[in-house]
Amino acid sequence: MIELQDVGKAYRTDLVETHALRGVTLHLEPGEFVAITGPSGSGKTTLLNVLGLLEEASSGRYLLDGEDVSGLKDDRCSRIRNEKLGFVFQSFNLIPDFDIYDNVEVPLNYRGMPRAERHRRITAALERVGLGSRMKHVPAQLSGGQQQRVAIARALAGDPRVILADEPTGNLDTEMSGQIMDLLEEINAAGTTIVMVTHNPDLARRARRHIEITDGRVSERRRTGPQEPLAAAAPTAV
Amino acid sequence: MTRFMLLHDLRLALRSMRHTPVLTALTAGAIACGIAAAMIALTLYHARSGNPIWWKSDQLFAVTLDNRGPPGPQDQFQRHPEYPPFLVTYRDAKALSQSNIPTRSVMMYRSVGIIEPGKPGLKPFSASIRMTTADFFQMFDVPFLFGSGWTRSADDGPDPVIVLGRQLNDKLFAGANSVGKLVTLHGRQFRVVGVIDNWMPVPKFYDLPLNSFGVPEDLYMPFGWTTALQMPNAGIVSCVTPTAKVGSFNELLTQDCVWLEYWVEMPRVAQRQRFQTFVDNYVRDQKQYGRFVRPLNNRIVNVSTWLAMNDVIGEESRLQVALAGLFLAVCILNTLGLMLAKFLSGAPVTGLRRALGASRRDIVRQHLTEVVVVGIFGGLCGLLLSSLGLWAIRTLTYNSAFDNSAERLALAQALSHMDVTMLLLAALVSVVAGVLAGIYPAWRIGRMQPALFLKSQ
Repeated sequence: MIELQDVGKAYRTDLVETHALRGVTLHLEPGEFVAITGPSGSGKTTLLNVLGLLEEASSGRYLLDGEDVSGLKDDRCSRIRNEKLGFVFQSFNLIPDFDIYDNVEVPLNYRGMPRAERHRRITAALERVGLGSRMKHVPAQLSGGQQQRVAIARALAGDPRVILADEPTGNLDTEMSGQIMDLLEEINAAGTTIVMVTHNPDLARRARRHIEITDGRVSERRRTGPQEPLAAAAPTAV
Repeated sequence: MTRFMLLHDLRLALRSMRHTPVLTALTAGAIACGIAAAMIALTLYHARSGNPIWWKSDQLFAVTLDNRGPPGPQDQFQRHPEYPPFLVTYRDAKALSQSNIPTRSVMMYRSVGIIEPGKPGLKPFSASIRMTTADFFQMFDVPFLFGSGWTRSADDGPDPVIVLGRQLNDKLFAGANSVGKLVTLHGRQFRVVGVIDNWMPVPKFYDLPLNSFGVPEDLYMPFGWTTALQMPNAGIVSCVTPTAKVGSFNELLTQDCVWLEYWVEMPRVAQRQRFQTFVDNYVRDQKQYGRFVRPLNNRIVNVSTWLAMNDVIGEESRLQVALAGLFLAVCILNTLGLMLAKFLSGAPVTGLRRALGASRRDIVRQHLTEVVVVGIFGGLCGLLLSSLGLWAIRTLTYNSAFDNSAERLALAQALSHMDVTMLLLAALVSVVAGVLAGIYPAWRIGRMQPALFLKSQ
């Protein structure tokens, strides 16, 4: 469903040209759980941004669900992000003065969805991440793990095809990290493709597929089939 | 844009304004100050620049004849040396009145007289008088509360009749219907034939050379009494030739000294052409007697042109409006800076919205909505400030310790009143100010790359 063909991304200034991605060719199937690792400055986040249509590739082709999304106009890119992609960020990126109901509602507003439908989806998403009783809380009243779960609910509410997670456990302790990974595995098991950037090799092992990126070039580290069990972390309490 | 998105943008705008109350107040305050200055200047300009008889503006004409002496150094002291004198002489007015081409015509001037009320508790007092021929009332659509004007034959008499202004009628007869009642004026009794209702043309178009923004006269008297009672001239007398002088009332009637206003009503175009020919022929004829030494320069002008010739709206008024506009521009720039700072400080949230599906267009529209709402709020505050400013101007400038009559207060109100047109203009200016102040900040925040802010929020 996601195909990158010889994709490159370069940042140009008057003096310097930096190649963040070089000749990236990648094929992701629906329902995959992909971990992307690499040293700092290797291009992990740039790859995620290109996949998420937050940045446009300098060269190559990007096909999403068979549609060539390279060079699309902003309106179309925004619509695709809204309908097909979900984002989870390291620093949660919740709007501080919105309660969590309103936070989860944000992407649905840009779809022009009727109020009743929005309410149904928001409620279902928050129930799914275990925060159905906290709808009127603001982010400051939640723990880090809870905030990240709200961010996941926000990503889920739109029923995306792919969730792009950039260091989703980067700001969390071990226990909370485990909870979040459990949640992501559950979501993946239900059919949503997940692409996760992480520094943590233990977390990378929990994904079915492990891709490494170095100096803008990708290489396949490991690939497990859909029937093979995932590498499990130590069980943790929710 | 759907209704849903508009409501959504409105909700976000109100939320954002509540979130930064001090910044919102500063921004609205800046717009309010600009709007207030602009609206005060525009209201005063608008009140002065109106045509109070716009429905007949192209039917009424002021008649001017160039009977000045030869051109000379004295011309440089005139504001508009190219124009003939704005008043006419007695004999020219009399000659013009012989023409039956206009449908109506009026010759008039401002006088003053002493009224003896003959009532206990009311001493004799001075009253302003408009000495005029009968057509004045119909020509200028003067509204009557009681009765009507006098007939043309009353001018010839002259009949001892007068028309009272409403305020004078209130003073003499407690506002009752005084038609038929007698008033002693200049030691003679005059019968009231009419009482004028509230009437305050702004500007006083028929009396511009003397008083552009004055109150109407207390009463009106047939022009025929000018000679019968040698009614004094309380306006302008200007001798326009080197040899003319006024040492007596008789010289006022015979010399080349201008002191009368002359107006005609000509609804049809053919009338105007014929009357112009009549006037030009008259002047050519007078040249034989050594008068009208300058080339033909007789102007028969409609009300709009008359207002422009008299510089009712002077350069200083235009300058005031320009300065107020400049001040508004500075306030808008100030607001632009404030909004830019505010929007850029909210860039992380905007970046998030972009990631979650907001297009650039959505972001620009959302932020523009906020600025327009602030603009409207600032405009409302500006209107309040404008009202305060106009009240201050009214109180300090127009109200007089010596004359706080109802008419003078009504004139002050008319000259500083914000009518529906100005209110609508204020609303429009508020919205436009908001858009102008917000368009660049909204565009700028819409252009930013969302990825830049997402990781570092």
